[in-house]
Amino acid sequence: MSGEEEENAAELKIGDEFLKAKCLMNCEVALILEHKYEQIQQMSDDPTNQISQVFEKSLQYVKRFSRYKNPDAVRQAREILSRYPLAEFELCVLGNLCPETVEEGIAMVPSIKNRGRALDEEAIEKMLTDLSLIKKFE
Amino acid sequence: MFLKSQLSWNVIIPAENLDVEGLMLQKAIVIRLLDDFASKKASKSLGYFMAVTTLERIGEGKVREHTGDVLFPVEFSCITFKIFRGEILDGVVEKILKHGVFLRCGPTDKVYLSHQKMADYKYVPGENPIFMNEKMSRIEKDTVVRFIVVGARYVEAEKEFQAVVSLEGDYLGPISQNAV
Repeated sequence: MSGEEEENAAELKIGDEFLKAKCLMNCEVALILEHKYEQIQQMSDDPTNQISQVFEKSLQYVKRFSRYKNPDAVRQAREILSRYPLAEFELCVLGNLCPETVEEGIAMVPSIKNRGRALDEEAIEKMLTDLSLIKKFE
Repeated sequence: MFLKSQLSWNVIIPAENLDVEGLMLQKAIVIRLLDDFASKKASKSLGYFMAVTTLERIGEGKVREHTGDVLFPVEFSCITFKIFRGEILDGVVEKILKHGVFLRCGPTDKVYLSHQKMADYKYVPGENPIFMNEKMSRIEKDTVVRFIVVGARYVEAEKEFQAVVSLEGDYLGPISQNAV
């Protein structure tokens, strides 16, 4: 019970197995699920069996909440965020929510302001500006 | 959050399907794995099972006594979706009730935002009830809302997650459709 009580993504307390796990941004999931959807339609005699409700609802969700639509932009977004010392979880929250200001960024991912992090406000601002540029040129 | 995980499962191929060989057998195993994966739905530790992404390895089959079915150990990567306490997410309003609203988020539609967690919003009854605050910001069906997760639990019987969320915090609340 205690382990669960302590979980708090805002402080990046999400359990070791998830800290190390690779997280995915909505836009990355959208690309994968769309590809998967086509694949299943082609290979399976009975596609309805393998396209679960979970799959369908999630595909709808990630399509709606993808900040970047084309594969190049999606790749660039991860590339830019990877230049900064972020945990996978933090990287994906930023890529999903695309905060516009440093203040908003810290509100969305409070753990990036924790002491000992090599991220000052200037770096956060640069990161968010670079992210917003991808969107502009997409 | 969507997560990429590696799993090892056993896939059972019934004896009557074993007259196939080579590639056909591999296809039978893959199809069986995809079927199993789709019907498994969710687990407490990993969250909802979205999709198998890559098949890493099919191990040596073991014949089961009595039935003659063959069991293949299979390693694969997959995507799952898990809701974490403290996580900030976007959701879509599904239903408005007097005491709060239900939102859809990823595969789940059991995300509950109580009126106590959005104190400045008041319930406005009517044919299409809404929640509205003094700045005329509205929460109605299909509104996109940004929230923070206060608690999440797994219900084994339904194999689903339920979450309680809040708007108490900076930059939380309804967001305009154009922004998304």
